[in-house]
Amino acid sequence: MATNTANPLADEFAFDIGGPVATYWVALLRVITGWYFFHAGVTKIIESGFNYAGATGYLQGMTGTALGPLPVWMANNLAWLVKPGVPLFETLIGLGIMFGALTRLAAFGGAIFMTLFWVGNGGYGHGLVTGDFQTLLIFVTLAALAAGRYYGLDAVIERTTLVERHPKLKYLLG
Amino acid sequence: MNDTIITTIDRAAMALGGGLVLLGVVGLGIVEVLAGPPYGAAPTTNDAGEVVATPMVDANLRVFLVVAGLVVLLAWQVYRMAGTAGGEDTTQRVEMTAD
Repeated sequence: MATNTANPLADEFAFDIGGPVATYWVALLRVITGWYFFHAGVTKIIESGFNYAGATGYLQGMTGTALGPLPVWMANNLAWLVKPGVPLFETLIGLGIMFGALTRLAAFGGAIFMTLFWVGNGGYGHGLVTGDFQTLLIFVTLAALAAGRYYGLDAVIERTTLVERHPKLKYLLG
Repeated sequence: MNDTIITTIDRAAMALGGGLVLLGVVGLGIVEVLAGPPYGAAPTTNDAGEVVATPMVDANLRVFLVVAGLVVLLAWQVYRMAGTAGGEDTTQRVEMTAD
Protein backbone atom coordinates (compact mmCIF):
# COMPACT_ATOMS: atom_id res chain seq x y z
CA MET A 1 0.00 0.00 0.00
CA ALA A 2 1.28 3.43 -0.86
CA THR A 3 0.03 6.65 0.61
CA ASN A 4 -0.02 10.07 -0.87
CA THR A 5 0.73 12.41 1.99
CA ALA A 6 -0.37 15.99 1.54
CA ASN A 7 -0.02 19.01 3.78
CA PRO A 8 -3.17 18.86 5.92
CA LEU A 9 -3.20 22.65 6.25
CA ALA A 10 -2.94 23.31 2.54
CA ASP A 11 -6.67 23.45 2.01
CA GLU A 12 -7.46 25.12 5.28
CA PHE A 13 -5.07 27.99 5.69
CA ALA A 14 -3.90 29.01 2.29
CA PHE A 15 -2.73 32.55 1.63
CA ASP A 16 -3.10 32.35 -2.10
CA ILE A 17 -2.47 35.62 -3.83
CA GLY A 18 -6.06 35.92 -4.99
CA GLY A 19 -7.39 35.62 -1.48
CA PRO A 20 -8.93 38.47 0.46
CA VAL A 21 -6.31 38.41 3.22
CA ALA A 22 -3.49 38.79 0.72
CA THR A 23 -5.20 41.60 -1.17
CA TYR A 24 -6.07 43.35 2.09
CA TRP A 25 -2.47 43.23 3.24
CA VAL A 26 -1.04 44.32 -0.11
CA ALA A 27 -3.39 47.31 -0.07
CA LEU A 28 -2.31 48.22 3.47
CA LEU A 29 1.34 47.87 2.53
CA ARG A 30 0.71 50.05 -0.51
CA VAL A 31 -0.87 52.88 1.45
CA ILE A 32 1.90 52.94 4.06
CA THR A 33 4.64 52.85 1.44
CA GLY A 34 2.91 55.61 -0.49
CA TRP A 35 2.63 57.68 2.66
CA TYR A 36 6.39 57.32 3.21
CA PHE A 37 7.13 58.95 -0.13
CA PHE A 38 4.29 61.47 0.01
CA HIS A 39 5.49 62.66 3.42
CA ALA A 40 9.07 62.95 2.19
CA GLY A 41 7.99 64.95 -0.86
CA VAL A 42 5.32 67.22 0.54
CA THR A 43 7.42 68.31 3.52
CA LYS A 44 10.22 69.28 1.12
CA ILE A 45 7.72 71.34 -0.88
CA ILE A 46 6.53 73.05 2.31
CA GLU A 47 10.06 73.84 3.45
CA SER A 48 11.90 74.47 0.16
CA GLY A 49 9.27 74.82 -2.50
CA PHE A 50 10.37 73.33 -5.79
CA ASN A 51 14.01 74.22 -5.30
CA TYR A 52 15.34 71.46 -3.08
CA ALA A 53 19.07 72.17 -2.99
CA GLY A 54 19.75 69.15 -0.81
CA ALA A 55 19.13 66.91 -3.81
CA THR A 56 22.18 68.04 -5.76
CA GLY A 57 24.31 68.01 -2.63
CA TYR A 58 23.23 64.44 -1.95
CA LEU A 59 24.09 63.34 -5.49
CA GLN A 60 27.49 65.03 -5.32
CA GLY A 61 28.14 63.12 -2.12
CA MET A 62 27.69 59.88 -4.01
CA THR A 63 31.04 60.14 -5.72
CA GLY A 64 32.96 56.90 -5.51
CA THR A 65 29.85 54.75 -5.12
CA ALA A 66 28.81 51.78 -7.23
CA LEU A 67 26.97 54.13 -9.60
CA GLY A 68 30.26 55.70 -10.58
CA PRO A 69 30.27 59.27 -11.87
CA LEU A 70 26.57 59.21 -12.83
CA PRO A 71 25.14 60.88 -9.68
CA VAL A 72 27.74 63.66 -9.78
CA TRP A 73 27.04 64.20 -13.46
CA MET A 74 23.32 64.41 -12.66
CA ALA A 75 23.98 66.99 -9.94
CA ASN A 76 26.13 69.11 -12.25
CA ASN A 77 24.06 68.86 -15.43
CA LEU A 78 20.52 68.06 -14.38
CA ALA A 79 20.14 70.41 -11.41
CA TRP A 80 17.29 72.14 -13.26
CA LEU A 81 15.41 68.83 -13.11
CA VAL A 82 16.69 67.39 -9.86
CA LYS A 83 15.95 70.36 -7.58
CA PRO A 84 12.24 70.62 -8.38
CA GLY A 85 11.97 66.97 -9.43
CA VAL A 86 12.84 65.36 -6.11
CA PRO A 87 10.04 66.97 -4.05
CA LEU A 88 7.59 66.88 -6.96
CA PHE A 89 8.16 63.26 -7.94
CA GLU A 90 8.33 62.03 -4.36
CA THR A 91 4.95 63.63 -3.75
CA LEU A 92 3.40 62.30 -6.97
CA ILE A 93 4.85 58.83 -6.51
CA GLY A 94 3.52 58.82 -2.96
CA LEU A 95 0.04 59.88 -4.04
CA GLY A 96 -0.01 57.36 -6.89
CA ILE A 97 1.04 54.50 -4.64
CA MET A 98 -1.29 55.49 -1.80
CA PHE A 99 -4.37 55.76 -3.99
CA GLY A 100 -3.33 52.95 -6.31
CA ALA A 101 -3.31 55.13 -9.42
CA LEU A 102 -0.77 54.35 -12.16
CA THR A 103 0.76 52.12 -9.54
CA ARG A 104 3.36 50.42 -11.70
CA LEU A 105 4.61 53.70 -13.14
CA ALA A 106 4.77 55.18 -9.65
CA ALA A 107 6.48 52.08 -8.25
CA PHE A 108 9.05 52.24 -11.04
CA GLY A 109 9.82 55.82 -10.08
CA GLY A 110 9.98 54.82 -6.43
CA ALA A 111 12.41 52.04 -7.26
CA ILE A 112 14.70 54.52 -9.02
CA PHE A 113 14.65 56.80 -5.98
CA MET A 114 15.28 53.91 -3.62
CA THR A 115 18.18 52.70 -5.72
CA LEU A 116 19.82 56.10 -5.29
CA PHE A 117 19.03 56.05 -1.56
CA TRP A 118 20.30 52.49 -1.15
CA VAL A 119 23.57 53.28 -2.86
CA GLY A 120 23.93 56.79 -1.45
CA ASN A 121 23.10 55.94 2.16
CA GLY A 122 24.86 52.62 2.10
CA GLY A 123 27.40 52.02 4.80
CA TYR A 124 26.61 48.30 4.47
CA GLY A 125 27.89 47.79 8.01
CA HIS A 126 25.22 45.14 8.54
CA GLY A 127 25.35 43.76 5.01
CA LEU A 128 23.89 44.74 1.68
CA VAL A 129 20.30 44.24 2.78
CA THR A 130 19.53 47.58 4.37
CA GLY A 131 16.23 49.25 5.14
CA ASP A 132 16.51 51.24 1.91
CA PHE A 133 17.01 48.03 -0.04
CA GLN A 134 13.96 46.51 1.61
CA THR A 135 11.90 49.53 0.57
CA LEU A 136 13.26 49.19 -2.94
CA LEU A 137 12.04 45.59 -2.91
CA ILE A 138 8.61 46.71 -1.69
CA PHE A 139 8.25 49.04 -4.68
CA VAL A 140 9.20 46.22 -7.04
CA THR A 141 6.78 43.91 -5.23
CA LEU A 142 3.91 46.40 -5.51
CA ALA A 143 4.55 46.63 -9.25
CA ALA A 144 4.85 42.87 -9.64
CA LEU A 145 1.62 42.22 -7.75
CA ALA A 146 -0.25 44.95 -9.64
CA ALA A 147 -1.12 46.34 -6.22
CA GLY A 148 -3.27 49.19 -7.52
CA ARG A 149 -6.06 46.77 -8.32
CA TYR A 150 -6.61 45.96 -4.66
CA TYR A 151 -8.85 48.67 -3.21
CA GLY A 152 -7.07 51.12 -5.54
CA LEU A 153 -8.03 53.47 -8.36
CA ASP A 154 -6.31 51.39 -11.04
CA ALA A 155 -9.19 48.93 -10.82
CA VAL A 156 -11.41 51.81 -12.00
CA ILE A 157 -8.95 53.38 -14.44
CA GLU A 158 -8.41 50.16 -16.34
CA ARG A 159 -12.09 50.04 -17.22
CA THR A 160 -12.01 53.43 -18.95
CA THR A 161 -12.42 53.70 -22.69
CA LEU A 162 -8.90 55.05 -23.11
CA VAL A 163 -7.32 52.01 -21.49
CA GLU A 164 -9.62 49.62 -23.33
CA ARG A 165 -8.52 51.19 -26.60
CA HIS A 166 -4.87 51.11 -25.61
CA PRO A 167 -4.41 47.95 -23.56
CA LYS A 168 -0.67 48.49 -23.30
CA LEU A 169 -1.46 51.23 -20.78
CA LYS A 170 -2.23 48.42 -18.34
CA TYR A 171 1.49 47.96 -17.95
CA LEU A 172 1.58 51.38 -16.29
CA LEU A 173 -1.40 50.64 -14.08
CA GLY A 174 -1.25 48.33 -11.14
CA MET B 1 -12.18 27.20 3.49
CA ASN B 2 -9.10 28.82 2.01
CA ASP B 3 -8.84 32.34 3.38
CA THR B 4 -12.31 33.48 2.53
CA ILE B 5 -13.59 36.34 4.59
CA ILE B 6 -16.90 35.23 5.97
CA THR B 7 -17.71 36.44 9.41
CA THR B 8 -18.30 39.77 11.03
CA ILE B 9 -15.32 39.05 13.26
CA ASP B 10 -13.10 38.82 10.17
CA ARG B 11 -14.31 42.13 8.87
CA ALA B 12 -14.08 43.79 12.27
CA ALA B 13 -10.51 42.54 12.77
CA MET B 14 -9.48 43.73 9.31
CA ALA B 15 -11.02 47.14 9.89
CA LEU B 16 -9.68 47.57 13.43
CA GLY B 17 -6.19 46.17 12.78
CA GLY B 18 -5.62 47.98 9.52
CA GLY B 19 -7.36 51.07 10.85
CA LEU B 20 -5.04 51.35 13.84
CA VAL B 21 -1.95 50.91 11.67
CA LEU B 22 -3.14 53.51 9.17
CA LEU B 23 -4.22 55.89 11.95
CA GLY B 24 -0.78 55.74 13.54
CA VAL B 25 1.19 56.12 10.34
CA VAL B 26 -0.98 58.10 7.93
CA GLY B 27 -3.81 59.67 9.93
CA LEU B 28 -1.70 61.24 12.65
CA GLY B 29 1.04 61.81 10.06
CA ILE B 30 -1.31 64.16 8.22
CA VAL B 31 -2.07 65.90 11.52
CA GLU B 32 1.66 66.22 12.11
CA VAL B 33 2.28 67.81 8.69
CA LEU B 34 -0.65 70.19 9.06
CA ALA B 35 0.51 71.19 12.56
CA GLY B 36 3.77 72.56 11.17
CA PRO B 37 7.41 71.78 11.89
CA PRO B 38 8.93 69.48 12.89
CA TYR B 39 7.44 67.31 10.17
CA GLY B 40 9.26 64.22 11.32
CA ALA B 41 8.30 62.26 14.40
CA ALA B 42 11.34 63.34 16.43
CA PRO B 43 11.84 66.66 18.22
CA THR B 44 14.02 69.29 16.56
CA THR B 45 17.18 70.18 18.44
CA ASN B 46 19.64 73.02 18.04
CA ASP B 47 23.41 72.72 17.81
CA ALA B 48 23.63 72.55 21.60
CA GLY B 49 21.28 69.59 21.63
CA GLU B 50 18.42 71.53 23.20
CA VAL B 51 14.91 70.70 22.04
CA VAL B 52 13.55 73.69 20.13
CA ALA B 53 10.40 72.16 18.69
CA THR B 54 8.42 69.02 19.46
CA PRO B 55 5.95 67.15 17.29
CA MET B 56 2.31 67.84 18.01
CA VAL B 57 1.62 64.14 18.46
CA ASP B 58 3.97 62.05 20.58
CA ALA B 59 5.76 59.53 18.38
CA ASN B 60 5.31 56.91 21.12
CA LEU B 61 1.55 57.23 20.80
CA ARG B 62 1.73 56.70 17.04
CA VAL B 63 4.01 53.69 17.44
CA PHE B 64 1.67 52.26 20.12
CA LEU B 65 -1.26 52.50 17.72
CA VAL B 66 0.68 50.70 14.99
CA VAL B 67 1.80 47.94 17.35
CA ALA B 68 -1.76 47.60 18.67
CA GLY B 69 -3.00 47.24 15.09
CA LEU B 70 -0.46 44.54 14.35
CA VAL B 71 -1.43 42.74 17.57
CA VAL B 72 -5.07 42.78 16.47
CA LEU B 73 -4.12 41.31 13.10
CA LEU B 74 -1.97 38.67 14.78
CA ALA B 75 -4.74 37.78 17.24
CA TRP B 76 -7.15 37.52 14.34
CA GLN B 77 -4.91 35.05 12.55
CA VAL B 78 -4.49 33.00 15.74
CA TYR B 79 -8.28 33.01 16.06
CA ARG B 80 -8.59 31.84 12.47
CA MET B 81 -6.03 29.14 13.05
CA ALA B 82 -7.82 27.97 16.19
CA GLY B 83 -11.12 27.90 14.34
CA THR B 84 -9.73 25.89 11.47
CA ALA B 85 -10.64 22.24 11.60
CA GLY B 86 -7.27 20.55 11.71
CA GLY B 87 -6.16 16.98 11.84
CA GLU B 88 -8.85 15.58 9.63
CA ASP B 89 -7.11 13.34 7.20
CA THR B 90 -8.09 14.20 3.68
CA THR B 91 -5.31 12.14 2.18
CA GLN B 92 -6.45 9.85 -0.58
CA ARG B 93 -5.26 6.32 -0.09
CA VAL B 94 -4.97 4.03 -3.03
CA GLU B 95 -4.56 0.32 -2.70
CA MET B 96 -1.63 -0.96 -4.71
CA THR B 97 -1.02 -4.53 -5.61
CA ALA B 98 2.16 -5.82 -4.10
CA ASP B 99 4.61 -7.54 -6.38
